[in-house]
Amino acid sequence: MKPYPLVHVQEPNLLKDTFPYTLPPLIKFTDDIIETIDGKQVHFDPRSAVTRDIHITDTTFRDGQQSRPPYTREQMVKTYEMLSRLGGPQGVIRQTEFFLYTQNDRDTVDACRNLGLKYPEITGWIRANKADFRLVKEMQLKETGMLTSASDYHIFYKQNQTRQEAMDQYCEVVEAALEAGIRPRCHLEDVTRADIKGFVLPFVQRLEKMTESLPENSKVKIRLCDTMGFGISYPNVEEPRSIPKLIYRMKEECGVSAERLEWHGHNDFHKVHINGANCWVYGLNAVNTTLFGFGERTGNPPLESAVMEYVALKGGLNGVNLAVITEIAEYFTKVIGAPIPANYPFVGKDFNTTRAGIHAGGLRRNEEIYNIFDTTALLNRPPRVAITDKSGTDGVALWVNDFLGLKGEQQLTVMKVAKIQRWVMDQYEKEKRLTTISDEELEAQVKLHFPELYAQATNKKA
Amino acid sequence: MTREEITRRVIAVTARELGKKPEEIKEPHHFAFDLGADSLKSIELVAAFEEEFDLNLNEEEALKVQTVGAAIDFFVQLLPE
Repeated sequence: MKPYPLVHVQEPNLLKDTFPYTLPPLIKFTDDIIETIDGKQVHFDPRSAVTRDIHITDTTFRDGQQSRPPYTREQMVKTYEMLSRLGGPQGVIRQTEFFLYTQNDRDTVDACRNLGLKYPEITGWIRANKADFRLVKEMQLKETGMLTSASDYHIFYKQNQTRQEAMDQYCEVVEAALEAGIRPRCHLEDVTRADIKGFVLPFVQRLEKMTESLPENSKVKIRLCDTMGFGISYPNVEEPRSIPKLIYRMKEECGVSAERLEWHGHNDFHKVHINGANCWVYGLNAVNTTLFGFGERTGNPPLESAVMEYVALKGGLNGVNLAVITEIAEYFTKVIGAPIPANYPFVGKDFNTTRAGIHAGGLRRNEEIYNIFDTTALLNRPPRVAITDKSGTDGVALWVNDFLGLKGEQQLTVMKVAKIQRWVMDQYEKEKRLTTISDEELEAQVKLHFPELYAQATNKKA
Repeated sequence: MTREEITRRVIAVTARELGKKPEEIKEPHHFAFDLGADSLKSIELVAAFEEEFDLNLNEEEALKVQTVGAAIDFFVQLLPE
C-alpha cells in the first residue's frame, strides 16, 4: 500500500484551478489516450482540443424540427438571432442548417439572412440528387449538407442500389455542387453501422481525390452521422462502432482535416452528449447539435451542453454568452410551447433547485457547496429550493431569505421561520398532502408572518 | 436576571413547548433523547426562548445547546444579573 498521510491545512483547499465557480468546472487532461488500430498503438492528444478551432454546429431547424410540429418563421428567426448571441462573435456556434423544400423554408432562410449576422452561417440540407441540389443553387448558399448514406441497410434496403451505384450518384451531386461553387458537406448516414473498409473509406478517398486540387477551405466536408446512436467513444472498441478509429481513419487514411470533420449523434443509448464531446477530444472540430437535444426519436447532442463542454475544455468563454441559454429556454417553453423536463441540466425549471433539507442547509451556509457553478452570474438562474416535507427548516429559511432578498446579517434564522416550517409539515402530516408547496403558498405565509419585510420586498420588486 | 429566574423560565417554556409538566423537567435532560424534541420542535423551542427572553439568538450557537442545563447556562451568560 502506498502511504498517504493526512495533510493538515489551515484553509480549505477548494481546487479553484479546476472549480473556479466563475466558470463551469474545467476539464484538464494529463496524458494521451491510446487506441490500438490495426495492431498499432495510436496516440490521441486530448489537450489539442484547447488549441484547435473546435466549434458547434446546429441543426435545430433541420433534425430538430423533424421531431416536432414545425416552427413558425417568426420563431425560427428569433431563435436564430438568439443562437447568434449565444455563440458570440468568435462563432462558437458556427453554422446552422435549414431545409429548403418549401417556400416557407426558403423565406425563413431569407429572413434570417436579412438579420445580417455573421454567425451562425446558414447552410442547406438536401438529399444527394440533382433536383434537390437546384434548391441550394437558387438560394445561393455557400455550403450544403447532402445525404450520402453509408451503410448497406440504407444503400440496399432503402435506396435499392448497389454500393457502386450509390457512390456514383453521391459523387455526381458532389461534382455538381463543386462546379457551382457550393461547398458540399457529405453526411455519411448510418456510418456507425457501415462497412468502414468496404465502403466508407473508398467513398471518402474518392471524394478527396475529386477535390485534391482545391484549397482546403473549398474541399468536401464530412459529417459522421451516428444515425442510430450506435457510436461508442470508449477506447479499443471494434469497428464500425468505434468513434476514435473512425476519426483516425478519416484523418490519417483519407486525409480529411479536423476542420472538415463533423460529428452528428443521436441519443438512442443515452450517449449523445458524451460521444459528441469525445469527438472533439479525439480530434475533429465540429459537433452538430440541437437546442435541448430536440431531434429525431431520442434526439441529438444538446447544444447548450456542448456550449458548456466547450467552455470547460477551452478554459474560458471565448465570447460565449451563457445567459442566452436561459433566454432561449424561456422562449421555447413560454412562446413556442416546447416542454423541457424540470430536471434537464442547465435549463430545466429545477436544474439547480434542491428539495433536500441537508442540501438546503449547505446552500444557506455557502452556495458553492451545492451549486455547480455561479448559475446566477452565468445563467441568470440563482440556486433555489423547492419546499416539501423533506426540505426542512433550512429549506424554508433559504426560500424566505431568497424571496425577501435578504443577505448576510439581515437573513432570517431558522428560528424566525419555524412557524412557516410548522405550517409546511402540517400540510403533509395532518392534511396528507402529496405535492410540492407552491411559491404562491409560501409567499402567502411570508406575508402572514413577516408583513413588514414582505411589503418592503414586494415594493422593491415592483 | 438571576440564575433561578432563568431556570424557572427555561423550564416553563420547555414544558409548554414540549407538552410536559414543569416538575418532569430536570437540568440533565436532553431535549431530543429525554424530552422527545424532533428537529423542528428543537428549533421551535429555541424560537420560544427568543420570545421569552426577547433576544435574537445566533442560530449556530443556539442550536448547539442540547440539554436543559446547557440552555440555562447559555442564557445566564447572555443575560447578566
